[in-house]
Amino acid sequence: MSTMTSDWLERVGSFRSCPSKFLSETNPEVFLTELLRELRDDRASYSVKMVLLSPLCEYPTLLCLSDPAGEETALDLMSVFAQCPPASTQFRCQLLVALTCVLISSSCVRIRSRASLDFLGLVFQVVRDTSDISRNGPQRSLRATACDCLRELEDCCPSLLTQHLELLGGLRQQETSGLHQAYVGLHTVVLRNAVYRLSQEPGAGAEHLKALLGGTTSADQDSFQTEGKDSAGLGSLILGPMGSVPTLHTGADCKELKSILSSLLEESYLLTPLYQVVLLHRLTEVVAMVPGVPPAILRAQLLRLLGTSEVCLFHVALLMKGAFTDSLFSAEDEAFVLKRLVVLSQHPVLSTPEKLFYMDCILHFPENRPISCGDSDEALPVLLTPQLAAALLPTLFNDGATLLARLRLLSLVYLEEGEVGGRGLAYLYDQLMSLLRVVESGGNREIVVTFFRAAFLFLLSFSHVEQFCSGMSRQLCQLYLQHPQLAPHLINMANQTQERLSESSWASGLLRGLQKAITEVPPAQLTLQALGWHLKVLARVAEEAEIGQRSSLNFLSSVIASSSLSVGGNWRLGNCVLGVCRCVLLHPTLDSLLIPLADILQHLSCYHGDTDIQDHARLYYSLLTTLSQEKLVAMLAQGSTTGGHQVKKRMLSCLMAESEGLTSMLTAHQTSQPILRLTEAPQQLELKQNCDPQGTEVDKASETYRAQFSDPHFASEIPLKYQLTHTEGSDPRFDQIFSIRLHFSLTDRHYEQLEDMSVPCLFRERPPPIVKLRLKPRQPYPTTLHISAIFTTRDGFSWHTELPDVHVAFQQVFLPLPAPPNWAPGSRLKVFQELWDEICSEAGDGAVSLFCCQLRGPSLKALLKEHLLPFLLSDPSGEEEFRVLVFLPPQNHVLLKIRAEEDAVHFNMASDNWQLLPHVNSYLLTVTSDRQLLALF
Amino acid sequence: MSLRALWIVSHEKGENGSIRFSRRFPTVEYRAKRLAGSSYVAVPEDSPVLQLILLELGLSSPNKPYVAQRDDCIYRPRSPALELPLNGKETLWPVLSVSQGSLILACLPLVDVPSEPRPPLASLLSVSQGLTFLAGLQTFLLGSGAKPDGDGLASRLAMLPSVLLQVCPLGTPLDVPLVGVPATSTVATSAGTQKQPAWKTGLHRGRAMVNVAVVETVRSMQYGNQSRQDLWDVYGTVTCKCEVEGVLPNVTVTLSLPQNGSPLQDILVHPCVTSLDSSILTASSVDNMDSSAFSGPYKFPFSPPLEPFRLCSYTSQVPVPPILGLYRLKEEDNQLCVLVSLKLHETVKNTFEYCEAQLPFFNRNQMGNVDVKVSSGQVEVTKEKNLLVWALGQKFPKSREVTLNAKIIFSGVSPGPSDPLCTGLTAYIKLLFKVPEITLSGCYVDQHLVQVYSSAKPRILTSRELLSKEYFIWNSTGTAPVSNGQMMV
Repeated sequence: MSTMTSDWLERVGSFRSCPSKFLSETNPEVFLTELLRELRDDRASYSVKMVLLSPLCEYPTLLCLSDPAGEETALDLMSVFAQCPPASTQFRCQLLVALTCVLISSSCVRIRSRASLDFLGLVFQVVRDTSDISRNGPQRSLRATACDCLRELEDCCPSLLTQHLELLGGLRQQETSGLHQAYVGLHTVVLRNAVYRLSQEPGAGAEHLKALLGGTTSADQDSFQTEGKDSAGLGSLILGPMGSVPTLHTGADCKELKSILSSLLEESYLLTPLYQVVLLHRLTEVVAMVPGVPPAILRAQLLRLLGTSEVCLFHVALLMKGAFTDSLFSAEDEAFVLKRLVVLSQHPVLSTPEKLFYMDCILHFPENRPISCGDSDEALPVLLTPQLAAALLPTLFNDGATLLARLRLLSLVYLEEGEVGGRGLAYLYDQLMSLLRVVESGGNREIVVTFFRAAFLFLLSFSHVEQFCSGMSRQLCQLYLQHPQLAPHLINMANQTQERLSESSWASGLLRGLQKAITEVPPAQLTLQALGWHLKVLARVAEEAEIGQRSSLNFLSSVIASSSLSVGGNWRLGNCVLGVCRCVLLHPTLDSLLIPLADILQHLSCYHGDTDIQDHARLYYSLLTTLSQEKLVAMLAQGSTTGGHQVKKRMLSCLMAESEGLTSMLTAHQTSQPILRLTEAPQQLELKQNCDPQGTEVDKASETYRAQFSDPHFASEIPLKYQLTHTEGSDPRFDQIFSIRLHFSLTDRHYEQLEDMSVPCLFRERPPPIVKLRLKPRQPYPTTLHISAIFTTRDGFSWHTELPDVHVAFQQVFLPLPAPPNWAPGSRLKVFQELWDEICSEAGDGAVSLFCCQLRGPSLKALLKEHLLPFLLSDPSGEEEFRVLVFLPPQNHVLLKIRAEEDAVHFNMASDNWQLLPHVNSYLLTVTSDRQLLALF
Repeated sequence: MSLRALWIVSHEKGENGSIRFSRRFPTVEYRAKRLAGSSYVAVPEDSPVLQLILLELGLSSPNKPYVAQRDDCIYRPRSPALELPLNGKETLWPVLSVSQGSLILACLPLVDVPSEPRPPLASLLSVSQGLTFLAGLQTFLLGSGAKPDGDGLASRLAMLPSVLLQVCPLGTPLDVPLVGVPATSTVATSAGTQKQPAWKTGLHRGRAMVNVAVVETVRSMQYGNQSRQDLWDVYGTVTCKCEVEGVLPNVTVTLSLPQNGSPLQDILVHPCVTSLDSSILTASSVDNMDSSAFSGPYKFPFSPPLEPFRLCSYTSQVPVPPILGLYRLKEEDNQLCVLVSLKLHETVKNTFEYCEAQLPFFNRNQMGNVDVKVSSGQVEVTKEKNLLVWALGQKFPKSREVTLNAKIIFSGVSPGPSDPLCTGLTAYIKLLFKVPEITLSGCYVDQHLVQVYSSAKPRILTSRELLSKEYFIWNSTGTAPVSNGQMMV
């Protein structure tokens, strides 16, 4: 493999693995240009070219940044296609795919651009060319791909191909090879979209439909339909029994449509299952839209679909049922389908994901006469009796996902039954307890998580069934004592139950049980590790107002007094103990706990081996002994305060126990939306001539000029001025803000990292402060800066906020020639000429190019004056030729010779960095197009 | 009805996760954007997707016992569709995933119905399409049932771009990737007017041959306990390999049952079956048995694809398990007394291809002294010293009954592997056996009832086989888990 090849494979590989990173290091336009150049290169092999197309097939919008760019790229690709020998079929197929992707995503197809119409013509040609029948060649796969491209075009831009409906129908019928599937797919989607479009037209009826199918619609329309107003036709029209489908009233007279539908249905068997479902679904939509066609036309397919082992085929039958309810499925059929679903949900030969999907279908079963009002909530079908559902009872042999899905389904069944003492519910509870036993005997993490989810699911449905819930609580406490490392799971479960079942007292019952279990453990049996978990649980228990804390405190004092546990100098454990104490300080029954708590705190502050713990304990002790409970609570309560309590919040940060809350209290707050922004400061008209006409002529202008760059800092920065202002939002909290620290982060690697900047203050009513950025380019490309700020408000809060991105345009990087100010214009022109000659002669990175546009004499001067004056070297009042030199740090130049010729103005450009030329080009395009417009008026 | 993106992820028990292959479909993305409007969520780049998939599947940070995001007790259906939490409130849904071993295949189907409020999975045809496609992709990458082997997988992955160009060029799957068929196969021409099925990549030429194999699998849970009913069930699959000339040849295979056989239930058929009699589908295991139920013969007319395929599958309720076992453990002064007896049912042919009983003793120390007596066969202790393997060979003795008596002392130091379903007296024997040329349900394919409508007379081969799977005999002196709720309620 040549180095070029491996280089390209590597580049495309790194682009695909992380496009944003790749593009931050290079310029998307340049990358695209190089890709296209390589695609045209005859030396590159087609297998490499296949790889080169993949970025365009996957990320066209990242490479073609604008619609015109998409158009250009498509034209380029089409010329590659035209030159590609027919034998390289795979590459040609991939080209068609790339073209489809580029044209659709750049919305060229939507606006029917020239390239997209050319492409449609090209693809149609391939699709119609059936000469390969005799040759039996690889051309077929090209036709298959072309059909799929047309299908995708029609899918993305509905009714694009309506005018070709009859032609496509003919091609479909003609094709007898395996390719006919591709034609069926194409014909079906065009048919469906055409019918949909008709259904949207007021007054359309049987005659219109007939004309459409016969290809005799009025010829004045464009060959490719322009797009309808809405994109509603994009989505599925089958929304279940409650969705409404647009209808086309034809009366019973739609023979032609019926015969097309029957012939498509007859052939459906010949399609792959994956494509059969597309066909059947599209036809379902058509039948649903045209009441003149009875749904019974689909009936012959049903048995085959309901008996299948393919999940998608069965599913399409279910969707048909949703669309047609009892006009296609009798009550008996309905019972059969549901029974079949239950069978499929546990059939031993099916895969787990399929079975779970079928179970989901049971929960959203399309009933003929639904009782609920069609919201997306799960509802059990009436016909699903507990007896039928019993086939789906969970067992320990199920994998986690299946067990949970079955448990949920059966919970719904028994909940609906309302039978509390039933055997079904008892069975579910037994299974839960067996699972608990598995956890007890050392089940792995997956089983543990499954168990807690199952237990929580059970609680959600049956928290009112006392016997089971209290039993579960007891079992969980026992489980905890054997496996204290389950503490986070139990705390999580208590939290979630409290949140979801606010009226139930189960969680506090569980916590009470845990407290009892922990405090009754003799200290001699405690291990250090278990103790850590116990303290975490006790801290959570102490948050419950109605649970007495005396036993917890007794436990704490026995723990810290115990010599067998080396709590003595252990900071972590000390902190856990303090964590419990802190929660107890907030407990409403604190008054009665004063003495034991004070004892513990005093013991810690005197005897604990860690100074930090001692200090903390001493602080808590003094708070406890000096403050009234009311004040204590007000000081320690966290989180719940809002609005006017900010000062308190700030003080509290130092009174926190070691907990996750600590960090969140100390960090800056995040604003919900941007409140600051940087806008370009208005340019002060710099009338100062950029050179002195009386300056000195220099002999070796070019050499002197270059010598300046021996200082690496010379002319390496671009000063940009911005104003820092408030955004439109009017939150009065931010009217006056202070100590603003702006942080800039780059989105690419073309610039050196910017340093943070400080702005002392920003008041809404005062003039905005000016922020001077000094950008230091490595490559002078346009860029975008992410900006964030940290600041303080009057009430002393710290805030962090994101500012809207600042875009640095290409022309903002322009600097005048950095020649010494005392140089005469002639010397500058000398530098220009020498640079120009050098670029034209060298084969290095330099390049020349020409840009032309229509501009009248005065507008050219106005343009120069407005945009290029600081860079103009020749006399602005001159007539012949204007010379412009733009310097781009660190050491790039763009030179322009502008001359008004007879027909147009020629911008001859040269640059010592060829990668700048696309930017110059688009810059000139922008500035001159403004002018041209103006010239028109 | 299309896919927005496709990923293939490999990992080692949650660690070293990497994206082995990924593919975006920008035109489908274009539709997604226009369909979802303001609720559109873009597909993130590969590396965040990888992390989120591992997190949602509970595979991330395997060494941390509890991670709040991963292990929260709130139940969300995670299979077959994951919801990946992105920045802020946005989530990516529905990401379908299928795992096998260390390989995860995932795709993001297009939601083509209004996305607010969230539609049920069941309303999205692209979900079942995605499942079918992923299953096909899985077979393509791994073969059926095999573990992913490094080289084979790598070469299949390398073929994937050109395979996808054929079967899913623009995100709408046209077919599943075909195994064993070269991606650029030239399609044989059909000269006549008969259209060639799209699932048939060519035509067979040569001698006609039809091979039909019925394989039944028996599962069982035996408790040896008055209070607990023993359970067993049987399911069968009929696999065909047909080499018949013609574009769309007709073949009919008929399954027959003996006189008093109980009906085949829960029949599923291959999509190539052309028509089905409704009576074939009536019998089901979730129903009350109807004595008047249709019990065959079961006719399956079809037109075969070129590759071997599963014509149909079924379940059956048979009156007796093929081998009835009893397992009794007793802890006795530092040693474990083991008693096993196995009895082969008289209706089952006494010719095994293999028959083996495995007695694991997990969650214990290693076996030290093992004193075994068996009435037939040989017993081995595995290298890890936590499993007894009793090889029973090809035949049971004439009495059709074998016994094993053992006294085991566990003296080793290092603990063996753990299985939470095998602790203390909760212990089981697992039976592995294969019996050629029988089926438990009695189901068979009569060679004379295999009809092929073609010019040449075909060679017809049929075979039968009985296999065991999850065949457990639990220690009757310990507690054992329930395996089927239907019996208990």
